[in-house]
Amino acid sequence: MVDGYLRQSPLAHLHLDARAANDINVTDAGLMLGERRHVGMINLRGEPADPAFAAAVKKAVGVALPDGINRSSGKPLSIHILALGPDEWLIVCPPGTEDSIFGKMTKAMKPLHAAVTMSSEARTVIQLAGTDARNGLAKGCPLDLHPRAFGPGQCAQSILGRADILIHQTGSNAGSSDASYDLFVLRSFAEYVWTWLEDAGREYGVKVFSPAEK
Amino acid sequence: MQKYSIFSLIKNALAYHEGWEKVWRSPEPKSEYDVVIIGGGGHGLATAFYLAKEHGITNVAVIEKGWLGGGNTGRNTTIIRSNYLWDESAAMYEKSLQLYEGLSQELNFNIMLSQRGVLNLAHNLSDLREIERRVSANRLNGIDSEILNTQEIKEFVPIINDSPNSRYPVLGGSLQRRAGTARHDAVAWGFARGADTRGVDIIQQCEVTGIRQSRGKVTGVETTKGLIKAKKVGVVVAGHSSMLADMAGFRLPVNSYPLQALVSEPVKPVLDTVVMSNTVHVYVSQSDKGEMVLGAGIDGAHGYTQRGSLHVIEGQLGALCELFPIFSRLRMMRQWGGIVDTCPDASPIVGKTPIGGLFINCGWGTGGFKGTPGSGWAFAHTLATGEPHELNAPFNLDRFTTGALIDEHGAAAVAH
Amino acid sequence: MLLIPCPFCGEREESEFHQGGEAHIVRPKDPDELSDAEWADYLFLRKNTKGLFLERWVHLHGCRRWFNMARNTATNEIIAVYKMGAQPPKAAINKPPKTAVDKPPKAVGKGAKK
Repeated sequence: MVDGYLRQSPLAHLHLDARAANDINVTDAGLMLGERRHVGMINLRGEPADPAFAAAVKKAVGVALPDGINRSSGKPLSIHILALGPDEWLIVCPPGTEDSIFGKMTKAMKPLHAAVTMSSEARTVIQLAGTDARNGLAKGCPLDLHPRAFGPGQCAQSILGRADILIHQTGSNAGSSDASYDLFVLRSFAEYVWTWLEDAGREYGVKVFSPAEK
Repeated sequence: MQKYSIFSLIKNALAYHEGWEKVWRSPEPKSEYDVVIIGGGGHGLATAFYLAKEHGITNVAVIEKGWLGGGNTGRNTTIIRSNYLWDESAAMYEKSLQLYEGLSQELNFNIMLSQRGVLNLAHNLSDLREIERRVSANRLNGIDSEILNTQEIKEFVPIINDSPNSRYPVLGGSLQRRAGTARHDAVAWGFARGADTRGVDIIQQCEVTGIRQSRGKVTGVETTKGLIKAKKVGVVVAGHSSMLADMAGFRLPVNSYPLQALVSEPVKPVLDTVVMSNTVHVYVSQSDKGEMVLGAGIDGAHGYTQRGSLHVIEGQLGALCELFPIFSRLRMMRQWGGIVDTCPDASPIVGKTPIGGLFINCGWGTGGFKGTPGSGWAFAHTLATGEPHELNAPFNLDRFTTGALIDEHGAAAVAH
Repeated sequence: MLLIPCPFCGEREESEFHQGGEAHIVRPKDPDELSDAEWADYLFLRKNTKGLFLERWVHLHGCRRWFNMARNTATNEIIAVYKMGAQPPKAAINKPPKTAVDKPPKAVGKGAKK
């Protein structure tokens, strides 16, 4: 879709790789922030009650649709699907794989009442981790992020400091407050949300890291 | 009436202030009046005052469910200005401002009018164009209004954040120097005293439960204190206009929403004007006690809770800190809500209803306080003569059918 | 702050939502046939009830779906949510609101029932 050499992250001007290299030895940060650049995203609309639809998605993507709204299926960092609404999903895939999945999906959905839209460059993904990732988010997000209400495998669209976000909890550590999240942020809000998070994390200590991609 | 002056103050001081008369009587309702006004807020009391003063009609009752000025009169942020866009509104609000300018003398009651100026800020090009248009329209209508650039605003309000790097930089603004604030309770009390002195019965703790009609004409009102007959009835009940219209059997294009205000702890004088911003959405002035008085937009959903949602004031305090970083550690002391009746065109309805002898004054939305004397003055004329004055004729109920709307969403400053 | 039960996402805070005014307003089939008064009715005249109010909401910052809600505007009690196109659930609508409109709170202290 986009020529690879033209792709630029909305946070490129923050030189996050250089900051990550600088922060590499920081061990006491409560909030760790990193940007996953150019993650593939494909928006899918369709009829969930139609068994042919669910089967076709599974066949084309290799991952089944999630069990319910605001749930995810598949593995973070690999291909996964987030259920955004009763008939809407976001297929998230590693950078560079989106064109082939988009091709397969368009083909698979052709006979069905469905829509497939490439939206990869619309948002970037900010990854949060650490013992205070939840506390940092809770400062500006009206969601109940307590483990009894929101845990790994759950996703939700909400607001953070007045910006629209899609949040996906990717992990947690039993017995600690460790939690990790993927935050999908619209391109034009990315810098605002990033600086907001750095500000929110100041009291816990912030460490910038470079997320690993598969 | 006991006249208030330096001499009466001295005289009563010598008598240990035990000789002051009650400011108004608390009479039991008579069985019949020439005019019954439902609603003892600023607008209702002003109507009664001008009915007595301008038209010599004194066989009048003002019926109030709670206490005088306990609704939006006592809940607003006391801002007065007349810089509205359209000729109709400019005439109405300017009449009101002129009456305000002489009101303390006229009522012999200090309403503490402070013409400290009201500054409307522009934060983007569209705001600037809108302000330019409105200032020009104001000047054509003989209303004082001027445009300030960022530097002039900084000189006028030294504590404002004029950084070009903020998300919504201050690019300019319009200033009406004759605008300002007045003490809201005093306006209600002054009108009440003036009306009472002229013979108007002010009846508090008396709720209207029905409107009696016969052959399409109003004959009286049923109240918790019994039936009160009346030749004419004026409904002036901000926050409950739709309910009264329901009782009378007609419909209003009015929607009611909570509008919140809040005040901070008192601090030393730092702000000697009123600053309003539509775009970041907050308005602020400093009261004589030193409290910052803040307001902003209405709630997102209809309601009668006189309370409001927290996220609305959260946004407005965010806007305040953006405009005035100096306030970032200011603590808020009290918060409250009032119910505003909004019209689709953000202009009020002042005039006749489909029922003979029944008149309505409602829909002032978020800007009723500044309109109080003008509204009462024009509505008194309407009640006395049976026909609207040319000031309030455009603000008829029919305009929603004829399409002659008076769209003041821009000048209303507070989002409707 | 209302806690609104989105029919799709469950309870979320009001700040994620936007109210869309009175529900069940039907656009006239043939606007050209209407009188000015009828058109004004359709455009401007809305219920403004103190008490049970049927309204539309959209989960603007969430799943972006519209739905209907029955709410008591005097107390903010949310009586029911139901999908677009559906009629309000009868049981919810006929149920007397938990808090009566305009009634003063019960007397507390001396003379109050133990």
